[in-house]
Amino acid sequence: MADQREAMAQLFLERDVENFLYHEAELLDERRYEEWLDLLADDVRYWMPMRRNVKLGELEREFTREGQDVNWFDEGKDTLERRVQQILTGVHWAEEPLSRICHMISNVQLLAVTPSVLEPADVAVKSRFLIYRNRVETETDILVGKREDGLRRVDGHWKISRRKVVLDQNVLLSKNLTFFF
Amino acid sequence: MINVRTLEPGTRVALTDGSTVEIVSNPKDGIWVFARYLSSPRDTSLVGTEEMVFAQDMVEIQTTP
Amino acid sequence: MAIAGKRRYTGGLVDVAAGQISREIFVSDEIYAEELERVFTRAWLFVGHESQIPKPGDYFVSGMGEESVILCRDREDRVHVFLNSCRHRGMKVCRYDEGNTPVFTCPYHGWSYATDGKLAGVPYFREAYHSKLDRSQFGLVEVAQLEIYKGTVWATWDPSAPSFLEYLGEFRRYLDLALDAWDGREGGTEVLGGVQKWLIPCNWKFPAENFSGDSYHNISHRSVDLVGIGPSGSGRRDMRERLIGRRLQICFPDRGHQTGAYVLPSEEPTPPAYQHSPVVSEYFRRCEEQRRERLGAWGRVTGAPGELFPNTALHPRQPRSIAVWHPRGAHRTEVWRWYLVDADAPPEVKDFLRQYYIRYSGPAGLTEQDDMENWNYAHAASRGTIARRHPYSYEQGLGFEVENYEWEGLRIPGTVMDVTDSKSSEHNLRNFYRRWAQFMDANSWDELATWRRRP
Repeated sequence: MADQREAMAQLFLERDVENFLYHEAELLDERRYEEWLDLLADDVRYWMPMRRNVKLGELEREFTREGQDVNWFDEGKDTLERRVQQILTGVHWAEEPLSRICHMISNVQLLAVTPSVLEPADVAVKSRFLIYRNRVETETDILVGKREDGLRRVDGHWKISRRKVVLDQNVLLSKNLTFFF
Repeated sequence: MINVRTLEPGTRVALTDGSTVEIVSNPKDGIWVFARYLSSPRDTSLVGTEEMVFAQDMVEIQTTP
Repeated sequence: MAIAGKRRYTGGLVDVAAGQISREIFVSDEIYAEELERVFTRAWLFVGHESQIPKPGDYFVSGMGEESVILCRDREDRVHVFLNSCRHRGMKVCRYDEGNTPVFTCPYHGWSYATDGKLAGVPYFREAYHSKLDRSQFGLVEVAQLEIYKGTVWATWDPSAPSFLEYLGEFRRYLDLALDAWDGREGGTEVLGGVQKWLIPCNWKFPAENFSGDSYHNISHRSVDLVGIGPSGSGRRDMRERLIGRRLQICFPDRGHQTGAYVLPSEEPTPPAYQHSPVVSEYFRRCEEQRRERLGAWGRVTGAPGELFPNTALHPRQPRSIAVWHPRGAHRTEVWRWYLVDADAPPEVKDFLRQYYIRYSGPAGLTEQDDMENWNYAHAASRGTIARRHPYSYEQGLGFEVENYEWEGLRIPGTVMDVTDSKSSEHNLRNFYRRWAQFMDANSWDELATWRRRP
């Protein structure tokens, strides 16, 4: 019986986390940036390493390091809030006019749950993304990769405590990263 | 066929010309190793010298370190 | 409109005297092909930083113009820059970004080169080549000249080019503002791990002229100033030192290098900065005190964005960065951006700076994003048939340049525009294109080294 209870709890948790990620994607696609910021914990870390082409056997050099090297992003909520504010000034030309964007999230996997699936407080989640960004007349970017997130239960809601974005590119093929992953 | 990339220093290899070499170091490019000649029927002056040895000149591993 | 003849550029497409430049030079594939030949094979180009290759066998793959090059350190501790192309049939001998290796081996036919460039391994040399190949003739193609200046590595393919120091001329003092330690000691900088590389859809000369001294485009960065990412919490950088001193645009007509700079009043200490972090602001205060003591009057000069001809951009201060605008066709540029810190700065200082740098510059930088948007569409607008008939205006401040500029006892080397009151000038941009046009028309370095002919 305990097994069955846990299995059910696992199932519900997976759906709950997926729905949360879809809701997050909805907010971003609908340009509801301030509501998106509310999904982030105050101590959130948001970072995206750069990737190198390295020899098999030296793969520890493939990614730039959090907190040490230059990364594409390596920041907390303060900077993310300023990014949103910048877009909302209406004079951030890289996002004025606003881009059209679509976040497709898939392959959602629960990697770890603490303390247990029956009372989840922190969850490690991995997902894949395909972000389609279209801008002005014909500018189009397609970015694909993975996200490794930490979600934390706060007052009955999920907050993103941590996001590591793993983009599958070396030389960045987009002229800017004005959007959120 | 040997994946030359994985050969450890100290490995002894037989070559196509009948020589035997011992790996000194491996740049891990899968194409060359640095090796010392232990024997060479073709040219006895090679014995004791270190050369770059090409993957396609290797026949088989004789001993591992 | 094409203008035929020997002085196509200096005599027409680029009219510095009138402050008019044809849109053609940004979008013509023919002109681009000439640039690769006449500019990028003859100038000094930035390749990387010594701190990226500390040990023998270390390498970092970089670029010069369109071409891939390997920056490496050989077993005898000597630094080299090689064309990343096998002498046999051209395959890249290194397809990794960085690492450590005893040899560079070509995957195609197995030719293998030592880290000093010598051809060391030739498969079937005895058999297929009958021992006849002269290996000494087939080492990796090496740059004609290489210079390591305060850790930065520069190279040129042209043996007749002046030495790097001669190429710099007095601009050296402004390059030093980016490369010397905060406390005024010479050198002592290193680059942070991770070089940003990204593609932008514009001709390389748009960013090059921007960094040369586009003092006019501040309005475009209003959004980042409003949200305040600066290291003291407001604006995009500490402004106080810029508000109390003279704001200058400086260029070197003979060399084609230019920069902005600020000169503090003689009786004022440097204003506080980095105030969001007590550790960093105190470190800065101490360093700046030592710097003023070490350098005397020259310590009143602080750096601003600049461009070392042709395509190396300098940010000496807030952020502190070197960028290279690699040409990728007339319509595309691949930007590589390095960030610098003092090698012996405390970890908290390096970390604070690192975070500031990456929210300022690069494709995720709140400031640089708007620059790139402008360059993208300015380039696109240069392509139209009708558009190309209308040259761009580069007249701002024509005729107001000053030689032998001096302020409160400090003489400033270079041709100077004091834009403190006039707000802006395009004379640095005119200077960049003047030099570019000279490179495009000149047949040799004898013609280009104009300073040697001055009495």
